[in-house]
Amino acid sequence: MSQVSITAEVKRPNLTRRLFPSVVSGIVLGIIGAVVFGVIVNAITQGNNQDATVVSVYIGWVLLFFVGIGAFNGVWRWGFARGEATPAEELELAGKDQGLWRYFRYTTDHKVVGMQYLATTLIFFFLGSMGAFMIRLEQSRPGAIFFTPSTYNTIVGMHGILMIVASIIMVSGPFGNFVLPIMIGARDMAFPRLNALSYWLLFSAVPIFFSTLFFGGFPTGWTGYAPLSVQELTPGMDAYCVTIIIFAASTTLAALNIVTTVMVLRTRGMTWGRLPIFVWGVVLSVLLGLSAFPTFLISQVMVLMDRVFQTSFFIAAYGGNNWLYEHLFWFMGHPEVYVIALPSMAVAAEVTAVFSRKTVFGRRMLIGSLVTITILSALVWGHHLYTSGSATALDAPYMLDTELISIPTGFFFLALIGTFWRGKVWVTVPLLFVGGMLVNFVIGGITGIYLADLPTDEILHGGMFVTAHFHFTLVGSMVFGFFAGFYYWFPKMLGKRLNPRLGALHFWLFMIGFNGTFLSLFYAGLIGEPRWSANVAPPFATANLIASLFAILIAASVFVTVYNVVITLKSGELAEANEWGGKTLEWTVPTPVPLENFEHLPVVTSTPYDYGTPEPLAEDAEGALKPAPLLPQPES
Amino acid sequence: MSEANNEGNTGSVAPAREEPNHLRRAIIIWVVLSVIGIALVIVLAQFILPPTASELGNTDNFTLTLLTALAVPVALFVFVFLAYSMLVFRVKEKPTQDAVPLKPRPSLPIVWMGITGALCLFLVIYGLFAFYQETSASSTNTLVVKVTAQQWQWSFDYPQNGASSAGAQLIELPVNRPVQFNVTSDDVLHGFAILALGVRVDANPGEVTTTAIVTPTVIGSYTVVCVELCGLFHSYMWEQVKVVSVADFNSWITSQGGHP
Repeated sequence: MSQVSITAEVKRPNLTRRLFPSVVSGIVLGIIGAVVFGVIVNAITQGNNQDATVVSVYIGWVLLFFVGIGAFNGVWRWGFARGEATPAEELELAGKDQGLWRYFRYTTDHKVVGMQYLATTLIFFFLGSMGAFMIRLEQSRPGAIFFTPSTYNTIVGMHGILMIVASIIMVSGPFGNFVLPIMIGARDMAFPRLNALSYWLLFSAVPIFFSTLFFGGFPTGWTGYAPLSVQELTPGMDAYCVTIIIFAASTTLAALNIVTTVMVLRTRGMTWGRLPIFVWGVVLSVLLGLSAFPTFLISQVMVLMDRVFQTSFFIAAYGGNNWLYEHLFWFMGHPEVYVIALPSMAVAAEVTAVFSRKTVFGRRMLIGSLVTITILSALVWGHHLYTSGSATALDAPYMLDTELISIPTGFFFLALIGTFWRGKVWVTVPLLFVGGMLVNFVIGGITGIYLADLPTDEILHGGMFVTAHFHFTLVGSMVFGFFAGFYYWFPKMLGKRLNPRLGALHFWLFMIGFNGTFLSLFYAGLIGEPRWSANVAPPFATANLIASLFAILIAASVFVTVYNVVITLKSGELAEANEWGGKTLEWTVPTPVPLENFEHLPVVTSTPYDYGTPEPLAEDAEGALKPAPLLPQPES
Repeated sequence: MSEANNEGNTGSVAPAREEPNHLRRAIIIWVVLSVIGIALVIVLAQFILPPTASELGNTDNFTLTLLTALAVPVALFVFVFLAYSMLVFRVKEKPTQDAVPLKPRPSLPIVWMGITGALCLFLVIYGLFAFYQETSASSTNTLVVKVTAQQWQWSFDYPQNGASSAGAQLIELPVNRPVQFNVTSDDVLHGFAILALGVRVDANPGEVTTTAIVTPTVIGSYTVVCVELCGLFHSYMWEQVKVVSVADFNSWITSQGGHP
């Protein structure tokens, strides 16, 4: 971060110009907005509608935050008040200014947005893991000892939301923004301003989310099931709803942007057939997100209406129904798992090919399997409602669809194992994480079958088995995939080399701690422990204690990682431009990556996995064009 | 895998002369470990799985064991080939040479799809069949128990006996008599579960959901738990259910103000 080019930095004469506009002025104006909106609405409702006041405080905060951070400055100056401007000022208006403060401004450069997402993801993971350790602490002993049930429920809910949000953005945010445009040979995203908007929307939701702590928390867990969420009297629940609404808007905008970028900004020769698998993974993921997240948004709007305006979408006594919420929620909730999974799986394929020095085994087969997963996973949400008593006639189709997903997932494993097989397997930290991911993904995937199968779900639903299963898929598989990408792209994004010994230590602590923790919880689930237990019953005490002890290893791994990142940023070795010998385009540009990425846009003549063949991937536009060296592979 | 690798071996870089047949080795390791694994699953299942008190619970435990036994070779396939690759094909330093590219033969995806598809279809058909068996039971002398959930306790009514046990910490069921629970909720969503009987269904406000007819077969004491997060004291929503002899049940139901 210290080597950013400062050529285009606008000279700012004093501190005031430095802070305005930036996130600081955004926060100042946002707080003013929150107070003003709150006072006005409180006066209108004569203090009778706490929820209305709280929601309007949040709305005021978000609107004025965006004014304060200068989201409208460029638009306003260009549209209505354009005077004399130096090229540097023009760049600043476009959100392309340089210097350290660009990370705290409404900057549109995709690399800055990627870095912002990366920092946010890591902070969310850190905070979310602290919640996890509090949960393990409480569950280490029978009875509610360390926290009251109310505090415990809030911790579980906050841990859930932080982790789910972090894992939704963890790959598509940092790497989808920083790496993806370079990978397809573009100078920026298709809608740079929208890109900044989607990041800062996410940012603006953070204070709202944490404000729940001052309003009594929320009791519903991350799923926010109605009518419990409507019945809840403290306004802490409003914070949950507004957070989700803003987050869903942010994710939808980001998805729109990524899809458009990949559709229109691919460089010459970057056909869909030559598109790196990582790009496929991200595009499929955000396409799925485009159908999923608006539903989540709607469901929370409905909950807020029930809470603020006393409508009754979900109140049975007035004609509402809680199944409506469950369906809306899981229509988002299950595709969302694949929104998280697809980019991580794609990272794994990318990393495996590079570190095996071998082309992806059955590349089209792999892409086909990712596409198939995307299609199938849009229609599996009903398996969360097997025991709900609603729509029993649909149980069989949901079950069929869910289990069909195991076929393309099997192809994913075939492709990765085939890529490893007889490769020059250079076991680095990213590859270790891919290995861990594959092991955990097998366990997570297979236990998913137990929950998808009607007779076994009948005894496992709502139990600790479910918790252990989705931690194996989301954490053991997908977060491991994220860390593979993190160690893989860190040298490109930050220009420094993470310490590989500490990286390996991180991996082994995480892998052993994670498996110990959640294999114990599988057992607790099998013998009948329900989820969300503030009060662990005596029969499950041993399994929970073992899980909590193993969680200490995970905690150690968290602090090892923090230490590694901090010392690397302070005094790490400089990384090479092509640190690992990758063949995708991001490794062809210098580190740190210049503002517009490429001096000349490259022309692509082959797939990026042509290991074992002498032709290079890309030529400068001036360079001689070579015919595509790879014929379509004779497969499937 | 087999075809794929043989094809790869014929690539440009000839393998060393005494290069072992990696594929055969890996497959042997896989088969041996799978056999051991399946045997372990079958032996250990009876110690790990919870005791059951009904036919339904027995079927559920059998299904769990069957799924796990099927899963063992699938998981070991990935584990063995992954570990083998990372240990045997490992290079210490940044490789200066690329590996020989491997391409799957056209038949490989088809074979792979056939195997995974067959497994998958078996699971679906088996699951549907087992589920149908579990839910299709009918009987003439079913004991109906009306379960009402509220934050944070269960109430049980025995309409056939004219008894109710609102707020009681314990209910009883007669052994070997089919029972059916009609479950509803007074406030928010709850989940009604008795693991040993294999009963689990949501308690929805404003709706009555009916469980499968289940016959408790073992006298003993079991627990009712709430399995949907229902607010503050969700994890305290426990209750005892005792399966007792018919005579004991009759005297208990009388003590609750009902008639046998």
